[in-house]
Amino acid sequence: MTGALLRKIAWHWRHDEKRELWIGWWTLVVFYNLYGLLFFAVARTQPPPQPSLGHAEIVEWFAARHHGLIYGYAVVFIVGGATAIMNATLAYTMRRMSVSRAFAYSYLVIYALATLPGMLIMGVACTVGAMRPDRDPELMSWLYDFAFLSFEGTMGVFLIGSLVWMLAVLLDENRVFPKWFAYLNLCNALTEVVVAPAWIFKSGAFAWDGTIAWWINMVVFVTYTAVFLTLLRRLILREDFGTGPLPDLAR
Amino acid sequence: MTSTASPQPRFVPGQPDMWAFVLFEAFVFTAYFTVYVISRARDLEVFLASQAQLDLSVGALNTLMLLTSSWSVARCVQAAREGSFAAATTNACLTILFALGFLVSKVVEWATKIAQGFTFTTDEFFSYYFFLTGIHFLHVLIGLLVLAVAVRELRDPARRSQELVETCATYWHTVDFLWVMIFALLYVMR
Repeated sequence: MTGALLRKIAWHWRHDEKRELWIGWWTLVVFYNLYGLLFFAVARTQPPPQPSLGHAEIVEWFAARHHGLIYGYAVVFIVGGATAIMNATLAYTMRRMSVSRAFAYSYLVIYALATLPGMLIMGVACTVGAMRPDRDPELMSWLYDFAFLSFEGTMGVFLIGSLVWMLAVLLDENRVFPKWFAYLNLCNALTEVVVAPAWIFKSGAFAWDGTIAWWINMVVFVTYTAVFLTLLRRLILREDFGTGPLPDLAR
Repeated sequence: MTSTASPQPRFVPGQPDMWAFVLFEAFVFTAYFTVYVISRARDLEVFLASQAQLDLSVGALNTLMLLTSSWSVARCVQAAREGSFAAATTNACLTILFALGFLVSKVVEWATKIAQGFTFTTDEFFSYYFFLTGIHFLHVLIGLLVLAVAVRELRDPARRSQELVETCATYWHTVDFLWVMIFALLYVMR
C-alpha cells in the first residue's frame, strides 16, 4: 500500500507536467491543516482568549500554555516560509485569467504583508511572553494585547485580497473560477469588515473573541478556504497551459 | 436534419451564481440576527430602554424608500425584458435615487443619535444598532455600484445583457430584504 503510494508519487514527480502546481496545492492543504493544529491544539492561541483578562490572569494564561507556545511557534517559524509557495499558487490562478497582471501582483504583495502581523509578529509576541514567565505582569499584558491585536490587524489585508480576487474572477473570460466564487469572496470580504470593532471592545460579540467578530467570521473563513482549495484542485485538473478559456473537467 | 432544440429553461432570474451570494449572505445575517436576539433576551430591559430612543417613523421611512426602490428595480427588469430600454434605464436611475435617499437619511439618523449621546459604545443595544445598520449601509454602497453597472448595460446597445441586469436586481432585492429584517428587529420588535 505504502509502496504503491510512493511509486505513484515518484511517477508524478518525474512525468506529471502539472508537478509544480500540485506541489503548490499540497503545500496549501498541508499548511492550512498544520496552521489549524498548531494554533488551535498546540499553542492554543485560537480560539482567542478574552481581551478583558486582568494582569494576573494573563500571566496564568501564558503559564498554562508555556510549552505549547514555545514548541508550537518554533514549528510555525519553520513552516512560515511556505506562505511564499501558497501565495504564488493563488496568484497563478489570476495569471491564468484574461485579466491584467496587476491583480496577481497586488494579491502577492498584500498576502506577503499579511504573513507578518497575522503569523510572525503574533508568534514572536507570544513566544517572548512564554519564554520568561517571571516578567512584570504589566509587560506580559502588553505582549498579550500586542499579539492579539497584531493578529486582528490582518483583517484589512484579507478584505482587500478577497476584493482583488473577486474583481479578477468577475472580469475573467477564461472561466478559471465560477462567478459564484467571486460573490463568495465578497461575502468573505464583508465579514472581515466586521472585525474592526474588535479594536474598540474588550468584551461581548464584537470583541476579538466575540461571536460576531471571531466565531461567525471563522465559520465563513473555513468555508471559504475549503471552497477555494476545492476549486483550485479542479483548476489544476482542467489546466491546459494555454492562454484561452480553460476546458471543462473531463468526466 | 434541422435543430428543433428550444432554449434552456431558466430556473432563476439572472446569474444563478448571484443566488449563491444571496444564500451566503442569508446564512451570515441569520447568524448576526440570532446573536442579537439572544443578547436582547439576556438583557431585555436595557434593550427596550435604548430601543425607545429610536424614532420608529425614521425606520419606517427608510423601509418605504427601500421597498419603493425594490418596486422600481422590478419595473426596470420588466421593461428591459420587453425591450423598453429607455424606461428600464429611468427605473434603474430611480432606484439609485431611492438608494441615495436611504443613505442620506441613515447618516442624518446616525448624526442625530450621536449628538444625543448614543454612540457605538453606549450600551449593547446601540452597539448592535450601529453594527447592523452600518454593515447594511455598506451593502447599499456596493448596491450603488451594482446599479451603476445595470445602467451602463442598459444605455449601451452593444453591451446589453438581460442576465446581468437581472443579476444586479437580485443583489438589490437582497439588500432590501436584509433591511426589512433589520427594521423589524431594531425598530419594531419591542
